[in-house]
Amino acid sequence: MATGAVRAGRWLASAAAAAAVVVAGCGTPAPAPAEGTPDEVRLAIGGESDEGYDPTLGWGRYGSPLFHSTLLTRDADLNIVPDLATSWSVSDDGLVWTVDIRTDARFTDGTPVTARDVAYTFTTASRSGGRTDVTALREAVAVDDDTVELRLTRPQSTFVNRLVSLGIVPEHAHGPDYARNPIGSGPFRLVQWDPGQQLIVERNDDYYGPRPPFRRVVFLFTDEDATMAAAAAGQVAMAAVPSSLAKATVPGMRLVPVTSVDNRGIMFPYVPATGRTTADGLPIGNDVTSDLAIRQAVNWAVDRQALVDGVLEGFGSPATGPVDGLPWYESRSAIAGNDPARAATILDAAGWIDSDGDGVRERNGLRAEFTLLYPASDTLRQGLALAVADMVRPIGVRIDAKGVSWDVIDTRIHADAVLFGWGSHDPTEMYNLYSSRQAGIEYWNPGFYANPVVDAHLDAAMAATDPEAAIEHWRAAQADETGAGFGPTGDAAWAWLVNLQHTYYVDECLDIGRPQIEPHGHGWPITAGITSWRWTC
Amino acid sequence: MLTTVLASLLAEIARRILRLVLLLAAVAVASFVLMVNSPVDPISVYVGADIAAIGPQQRALIAERWGFNDPPLERFGAWLGNLLQGDLGYSLTFNQPVGEVIAQRFLTSLALMAVAWLLSGVIGFGLGLLAGVHRGRTLDRVVTWWAYTLASAPTFWVGLLLLYVFSVWLGWTPLCCAVPVGVVADEVDLLDRIHHLLLPAVTLSIVGVAPVVLHTRQAVVEAMESDFVAFARAQGESTSGLVLHRVLRNAAAPALLLQFSSWGELFGGSVLAEQVFSYPGLGAATTQAALAQDVPLLLGIALFTTVFVFVGNQLGDLVHAWVDPRVRRPRLTAGRGVRARALAEEAA
Repeated sequence: MATGAVRAGRWLASAAAAAAVVVAGCGTPAPAPAEGTPDEVRLAIGGESDEGYDPTLGWGRYGSPLFHSTLLTRDADLNIVPDLATSWSVSDDGLVWTVDIRTDARFTDGTPVTARDVAYTFTTASRSGGRTDVTALREAVAVDDDTVELRLTRPQSTFVNRLVSLGIVPEHAHGPDYARNPIGSGPFRLVQWDPGQQLIVERNDDYYGPRPPFRRVVFLFTDEDATMAAAAAGQVAMAAVPSSLAKATVPGMRLVPVTSVDNRGIMFPYVPATGRTTADGLPIGNDVTSDLAIRQAVNWAVDRQALVDGVLEGFGSPATGPVDGLPWYESRSAIAGNDPARAATILDAAGWIDSDGDGVRERNGLRAEFTLLYPASDTLRQGLALAVADMVRPIGVRIDAKGVSWDVIDTRIHADAVLFGWGSHDPTEMYNLYSSRQAGIEYWNPGFYANPVVDAHLDAAMAATDPEAAIEHWRAAQADETGAGFGPTGDAAWAWLVNLQHTYYVDECLDIGRPQIEPHGHGWPITAGITSWRWTC
Repeated sequence: MLTTVLASLLAEIARRILRLVLLLAAVAVASFVLMVNSPVDPISVYVGADIAAIGPQQRALIAERWGFNDPPLERFGAWLGNLLQGDLGYSLTFNQPVGEVIAQRFLTSLALMAVAWLLSGVIGFGLGLLAGVHRGRTLDRVVTWWAYTLASAPTFWVGLLLLYVFSVWLGWTPLCCAVPVGVVADEVDLLDRIHHLLLPAVTLSIVGVAPVVLHTRQAVVEAMESDFVAFARAQGESTSGLVLHRVLRNAAAPALLLQFSSWGELFGGSVLAEQVFSYPGLGAATTQAALAQDVPLLLGIALFTTVFVFVGNQLGDLVHAWVDPRVRRPRLTAGRGVRARALAEEAA
């Protein structure tokens, strides 16, 4: 009761303040939003950037950068469409990207957005040492007021993702304090940031793009429990909650599960253990998982729908590859359903026979047994690992699922199977996971997977200057017309298990349209479509 | 005579300052060694979920920006040099000078800790007194049982429980944060701040209340059994008179000492309480700095809390000496810590 009263009071107060701002402000008449649209919405979806809101340090790489606009953007189907750019082209050698930008965009301090600001943003980001990798850029040059040339050190078709994610900052206002006082040409401007608590933003009425219906949006940075409490108390219009909390009924809110490529899968060491080690002395290879029949059999034996229902409580979908549902996904690479009998046949044909009757097959004295590591702190991965171990037991394969710390995983990463989670809108991730060039670098291709055919497709995709051609090659890497590829129908380099659904409680009145398939992060990515959200009550 | 007292007083102050400096040096070295040898790679933590998109070249840029390429000894030396000039360094996590982070966060925490500290002191002492005077009776049993329950209840759990009861069910208190949601700083008044402080402070005070109750109760019990109380009672003094004139002062000494020496635990508890209520104090910042291997910020916080706890202990000594004249005389000769500990043990 008391909350209701307090809220009503605040509501009136902020409405009065809003009226005052509109009257005193620029005087542009606001288009009438749907009747009953509140002046302010509150969202508890996390996404705070502790180091502030500077795109050159990586702010805005998921979802909407709010304060900034980007050259290009992705629509609901993840197709690339122009935003600040009006057109763009790539030179035949793939080294020069020429981008024309619109001339009607202004920063919130009133200055126009020019090609110089774009060049400055890219140059700064390439040197800043933040969370965005623009190291492929050699130099960015403003050719005239509205044309910029981005010159690369190497052809990189995935560079388009930098054009999608890098918010443009004003050269004249960018400095040490910028991250706390961002100025951009995006749909919102910063009102106040209380670190660790909330971010208050206001609509930028000067924005060239679609006009968000809410004058003000407040992002609450609460942890899981407080977020759930806020939803239960009716204080937020949207709450991102882990799927374990998504079974509750929250009055006035509906549950919106959003499809994602936030996936989980088993990485197999691809080469046999020959005593080879990395430069740091870590062992490489596993004699069991390096066998194609074992990897294929595990892929066929796993009942992915059962994992979704049992471990994810229904909030997910079976995964057949690292990029399910994205524009560069190749459905040919997938295997449908599960078929333990087929798995057994594959093992029989490859000479894996249980000759001593202990329930585990052997071949030349080698038992069909391997260790599967998962981070012990992650209960979801634990559930998946244990369930998979149970699922392969009937076909005579033994998986020892072991929960360990990342430090242990780091030392065994090339020699034991590991349960990983990935998921990105940038196919660079797929390149890094499967290209033999990336074997043993960072957490990429830890299994030392190498197939010259796949490498050729991946390199061709990376070097392509035409987006369509790139997509063709990305798809062929998963499975090409000859059947070769890293997917389960080909080399079965991984056994992908599930894609999570990201769960949100959303106010009955808030229409968020059709959300994008989300990447690994849960929460902020949902803001990608924020400018087209509508209030329906 | 006066000069001798003054000289010994100065010597005492000098000795304590020296002790603080040595302590700070030890804390700084130990923290730095621990962090440099931590198996956690700060760049991997920083990169986080973007690990698939950040290449070795970009990692090199991050390492360069943060100065990770220099040998540890050189980094420590540079940090120490800056510290002596009053510069605590730059926080990687918050992209802000460490001094600023600590100042902002500590102001928020200070209000929380001060209220919690006063609450636990007053309530703890009052309940301990009641229980001790009514030793063995129902009131005593209820209070003791309650104190033991609180002593064994985890802070975050208590916090969540309070959050659901008072913020969700009853709607009396806010769900999070130190300021009202959606209100700009200029419009936030003192009442708002107190309203937001209430629940975290109560949660935090619950951590500290149990030991005060139990120690006070014990001190009261001992005083009530003493000869001087028996004598006063024989002379016809009433129970309330006994408590007021004979027991109070005796019971206050251990309670006060305990209260001042609990500043460390208070800070530790605030880490959890702040987490539950999204209360952005120093405790929450410590968690973030530790998780992200933010060495400059963690060192800054470690030094700051050392000073904080040290000051608490010194104040405890002073107040204790003021309340209990028996400990005042030998101050200049014997170490204080020994007696404080003996007293605490005796009380326990």
